[in-house]
This record gives sequence, C-alpha cells and structure tokens, in this order.
Amino acid sequence: MIKENIASYLFLLPFLVFFIGFVAYPMFMCLFTSLFDATMGREDIFIGFQNYSELFHDDVFWIALKNTLVIVLVSVPVTCAFSLWTANSICKMHVVATSAFRCIFYLPVVTGSVAVTMVWKWMFNNYYGIFNYVGTAVGAIDKNINWLGDERFALGCIILILITTSVGQPIVLYVSALDNVDKSLVEAAEVDGATHSQTFWQIKWPQMMPTTLYILVITTINSFQCFALIQLLTSGGPNNSTMTIMYYIYYNAFKLYRYGYGNAMGVILALIIALLSAVQFKLGQEKD
Amino acid sequence: MKKILALCLSAAMALSMVACGSKPAETTAAATEAAAPAATEAATEAAATEAAPAGEAAEISLWTYPIGKWGDQATVDALIADFNAAHPEITVKVEYLTYADGDDKVNTAIEGNAAPDIVMEGPERLVANWGAKGVMVDLTDLWTDEVKADTNASVEAACRNADGVYYEYPLCMTAHTMAINRDVFEETGAWQYVDEATHTWTTENFLKAVQTLYDAGYTNVGAVFCGGQGGDQGTRALINNMYSGTFTNADHTEYTANSAENIKALETLVAQDGINFDPAIQGGDEINLFVQGVLQMAFCWNIAQETNNAEILGFDVFPMAFPSDKDPQLCGGIWGFGVFDNGDAAKVDAAKTFIKWVCDENTKASVEASTYWSVRNSLADMYAGDEMKTEYGQFMQYMGDYYQVVNGWATARTEWWNMLQKVGAGEDVVASVETFVTNANAAAAN
Repeated sequence: MIKENIASYLFLLPFLVFFIGFVAYPMFMCLFTSLFDATMGREDIFIGFQNYSELFHDDVFWIALKNTLVIVLVSVPVTCAFSLWTANSICKMHVVATSAFRCIFYLPVVTGSVAVTMVWKWMFNNYYGIFNYVGTAVGAIDKNINWLGDERFALGCIILILITTSVGQPIVLYVSALDNVDKSLVEAAEVDGATHSQTFWQIKWPQMMPTTLYILVITTINSFQCFALIQLLTSGGPNNSTMTIMYYIYYNAFKLYRYGYGNAMGVILALIIALLSAVQFKLGQEKD
Repeated sequence: MKKILALCLSAAMALSMVACGSKPAETTAAATEAAAPAATEAATEAAATEAAPAGEAAEISLWTYPIGKWGDQATVDALIADFNAAHPEITVKVEYLTYADGDDKVNTAIEGNAAPDIVMEGPERLVANWGAKGVMVDLTDLWTDEVKADTNASVEAACRNADGVYYEYPLCMTAHTMAINRDVFEETGAWQYVDEATHTWTTENFLKAVQTLYDAGYTNVGAVFCGGQGGDQGTRALINNMYSGTFTNADHTEYTANSAENIKALETLVAQDGINFDPAIQGGDEINLFVQGVLQMAFCWNIAQETNNAEILGFDVFPMAFPSDKDPQLCGGIWGFGVFDNGDAAKVDAAKTFIKWVCDENTKASVEASTYWSVRNSLADMYAGDEMKTEYGQFMQYMGDYYQVVNGWATARTEWWNMLQKVGAGEDVVASVETFVTNANAAAAN
C-alpha cells in the first residue's frame, strides 16, 4: 500500500514540480509584488495597497476593464452559440463531411496566431485591404475605412478575429458531445412525436451541459486573456479603444517598467475570472 | 471540492500569466547589489580589466538592433570572422533584435539576470535608459583623449550622462530625413515647392505640395503614423520642425511639446487634406506603404531605407529635410555599443576588446556595415565618390539637438503616440499635448 502511494506521488512529481515552479510560485510572487513599487534597476519599495488604490483611480484601467467585459460578453455567447449551431449542423452530415468541416473549423486553432493575425491585418488594411476593396466595389462604403485605426470599428474587428480563432475547439467538443448523446432517448422521443427542436432542447441539450459548462469557462478565460491580437494589431489603440486588461498589464510592466502596478492589475483580473468562473460553475450545477 | 479546486486552478493560471514581470524585493536587492552603481565602480572595474590576463579565453554575447546591415547575419558573421582572426580567444555569439520586441527582450533579460554582454544601440537606450538604471558598465576608460579629439562633439555629449559617465562607445551616426516620391511630385506639379539643390522646403511650400497632390487625386499623401513607438522620430521631427518647436528644453530636463509652435503644427496637420493620422500603422508600415507607392511621402526615412528597398522601389525617391520655417533640425541617430554589467570582469574585458576592435581598428568596414556615417571626424569623407552617400550626407549639416537622453524617455515615447492618436481622433489638441507633457514630465522627474 505504502509502495503504491509512493509510486503515485512519484508519478505526480513532474506535474507538481511544474505546477509549483510555473504556477504556484508566480502566483504568490504576483500577489507579493503587487504590494511593492517595483521597477527596474532599484530595490522594490513596500507601499501596501497603494497600487490597488491607484488602479481604481486610473481612467485607462476602467476603459480596459470595460473593453475586456465587452469582448467577453460578445465573444463568449457568440462563440458558444455559433459552435453549437455548427456542430449540430455538421454532425448530421456524412462522416467524411463531418470530419472535413471539423478540420476546417479547427485550422485557425492549430495555425500560428501571429500568422492568422497578420492575414487579418492585411484584410483590414486601410489602404489596400480586401474589406475596403470589396466594400467600395459593391458600393457598401463610399471611401476606405481605417478598420483598425478608427475607434468605432477597432474593437469590433478584434472581437470578430477572436471569435473566428476561438470556435474551432468548441465545435470539436460539441460534435463529440452530440455523438455521445444517448441515441435510445432520442429515438424514443421521436417515436413519441417530438419535433427536432424539442428533441434537441429536451433530450440532447441537457446531456451536453457539462461540455457547455467547460466551453463557457475556457472561452471566458481566453476572452479575458486576449493579448496577442491587441499586441499585433492595435497596441491598445486607437485612443485606448481596444485596450484590454491583459494588454494594459503588459504595457505597464514592460513598457513603463511598473511591475508592481501591473501585478496588482493581474490580481484583480484573476479575481474577476475566478468570480465569473464560480458563477458559471454554480449555474451549471443548478442545471445539472 | 473538485469545483473549488478547479476554481483555484483557473485563478492560478490567470495569475501566473500576468506574473511574468514580477520580481521579488530580495532578488532586486541582490541584483542591485551585484550591479552596484557603475559610476562608483569605474575605478575598480578599470583595475580589474587591467588585471585580467591578456588573451584570456572568453565567450561573450552581442545583441544588436537592426542598424543598417548590423541586422544582417551574413554581414555580422563576416565582421566577427575578421575579429576572430585578430582575437581567436574571444567567441562572440550574436542575437538579432527587432525594434518591435527588442526592448522587451532586453528588459526581460535584465530582470532575469541574463542580459547580454554587449548591446548595440543608441544613447536613448544605453545612456538614458539602461545606463540610468545602473545596469551598464562605465566605458570612460575607452574614451581616450585621442578618441575624444576625433569624435563629433555632439555625439560625445550624447554618449555620457549628466555626471560625465560614458555608457556608449559610438560607431556611426545619421540624420533621419523624410522622403518624397519624385515621380508623382513632378507629375502633379508639386515639384515646384521643393528646393532641389538643398533638399529642403518651407512649411508653407510643404503644405502647398500636399494639397496639390491631394487635389490631383492622391488622397493618401502622407501618414502621421501612431500605432506605436516604431519610427516616432519621424513624427516628432515633422511636428517640431514645422514652426520651429522643440521636444525638450535645451537642458534636456523637461518636455516642451505643449509649446504654441507644436500645437500650431498639430492643428495644421489635422486640418490638412491628404495627411492621415493613422493609429493602425507604425514607422515600418509607413515605409512599406511609401515603397509600394501607396503613400507619396514618408516621414520615417534615412539612407538605410533606400538601400534596403532598392530592388523593389519603382519610383525615384527624393530624400528631404523636414519642412521648417527656419533651418531644419533633424533627429540624429547615433549608434554604438554598451556593455552590461554581468559581474564578470573577464567578459567585460573581452567585450571592451571587441568594441575597441570594431570602432577603432576596423572602423571603416564596421561603419560601412551600418550604411551610415562615422562619428569620427577623420572619416568624414569616407564615402567620397559615392553618389547616394553624398546626397544623404548633405543632411548631416541639419543634425539637431540630441534630446533623446532626457529622463523618462521610455514613458515619453509611449505617451507621444497615444497623444497623436487622441489628436487624430479629433480630441482637443491643447488638452492632448498637455496630458502628454504632464505624464512625460512626471516620468522625467522620477
């Protein structure tokens, strides 16, 4: 018995080392450093909760928080709904077509995010982008729009790209979940005269709740941590209209060298994500 | 229980994502102690350097920004091969940085106590940033009287801090210009506003030229790019020159972008047809758009751009000084080497040997690799007979004040493009520049 326990812990050891070194320790240091005025080239100065106090009086932080919430509130439901609809549509197809569509929708996930982002950057280009070209050609727009340089459109463009790169994994998960639905229940409902809609919402949907909960949580976290798109496309601009908390953390920590302040923001972001995840788990539990 | 654990893990993942830049107070203290103020260590260090046995084997790292062909591996490999012929005991490992992420890489390395031994860049980073943070080696011992006598005076001033400590040993310099598409200017009649002989124009003529191009159907004449700090010397020079404003005061202690001259320039540019304030592009993007013929002028230009794009340029590029109502004051680029204090006297010694060889013994080839001009007065005519170099060499007379060594420079750069974005979005110019100056001066005071 003791030998088995030791063996179990030995198997766990690599993960524990990784977890302690790359998750637990940074997490602790993030909390710890957020209480300091920490910058490059001098000793950190303990300032208590001053970083947090400053944070709540920082206009850009509130803009970043608002933008982040907009991204989450738009992209998460759209991603989930689109993934569910797509998965439900393609799982009815021939197995070859199902596999093909799964691959197509999953491609943006396995393609390098930088490559995908650069392609989008070209498409949104103010001067020679395909959106402006098609838009002016069909008469939808009078003159070129600076999609990523105009406050009215930039955040929308970011959300659009985020959604296209986020749907792949949920589609694959939903297709698997639909495959695992108890066929006997579906057949019984159909024999009893249930419509397609009733079959889906009353039989299939409850069985997919754990998958939905997982997708909601990971999509929410991914949306909160949207960084590469902002970094590569807009740097938070124009005029902070695409500034997110993740990018603002980076901006403060690595552009302004305000490590303590950046970490204080990181703590707040973690709390928000934890809170939202808790709500999602709670709701999922009630549905169960 | 499982859900609580899952929640904790979610929070832990989020926290760990954002904790990359953190460092413990103890570590910082240790690092600070290890990298004790270079100024006070100068004598000790010099002694250590002298004490190090000649010809000691050492491996040093060189991180270089893309300064002309110093960003090209084949060119740098050839230079290092020549260096190794003279100094086989020293191995130089090179890493090539970009301006997009180079600062992040260096700063992360400094924080992780993994800074390179040598970095090639200019005084705004070597002196005003890393030097001021106490992580660089004092290079005063390299600045002999002979070197000082042969070095451009303004370059020498830029390579040392206010206390006279040298953190850069310079190799080359250039004046940043703008450029126009000569073919289009001639085609539309805008060429009449250009002083061809001196490569200059007045602000009034510049605005007339832009309007002429716009009226001729070229809606995208020029772009005040503000998507980031890349190439921002171009937008600074444009705005400062138009009505003879300045970026800082003469002492380099305070930012002065809120002067009436700068405000007038910004308001004029916002109102000018054909000039776009574009937050979607940075200097590099602007150069590409100009080279592709999409924009008719580039504000981020120097000889390296013409050299690097020679094969794809489909029109005649005409370099210009920035429009000014007086003599133009161009932003200078001064590039050279700084040494990080990694606490290893042998490596510092090897790094200095390498720098001396590049700048003092192999000067001409090293400068040629940069595509710019030597900082040494004795090599002022090293490009005699080269038509393009002669054309661009004319701009050296317009080199303005090297103000990039002002405190808070890193903050000022980010505030600058944020300010341009606000102005371009239609926010009040006066309020926007006041915000810039307030934030930049706050950083300068720290």
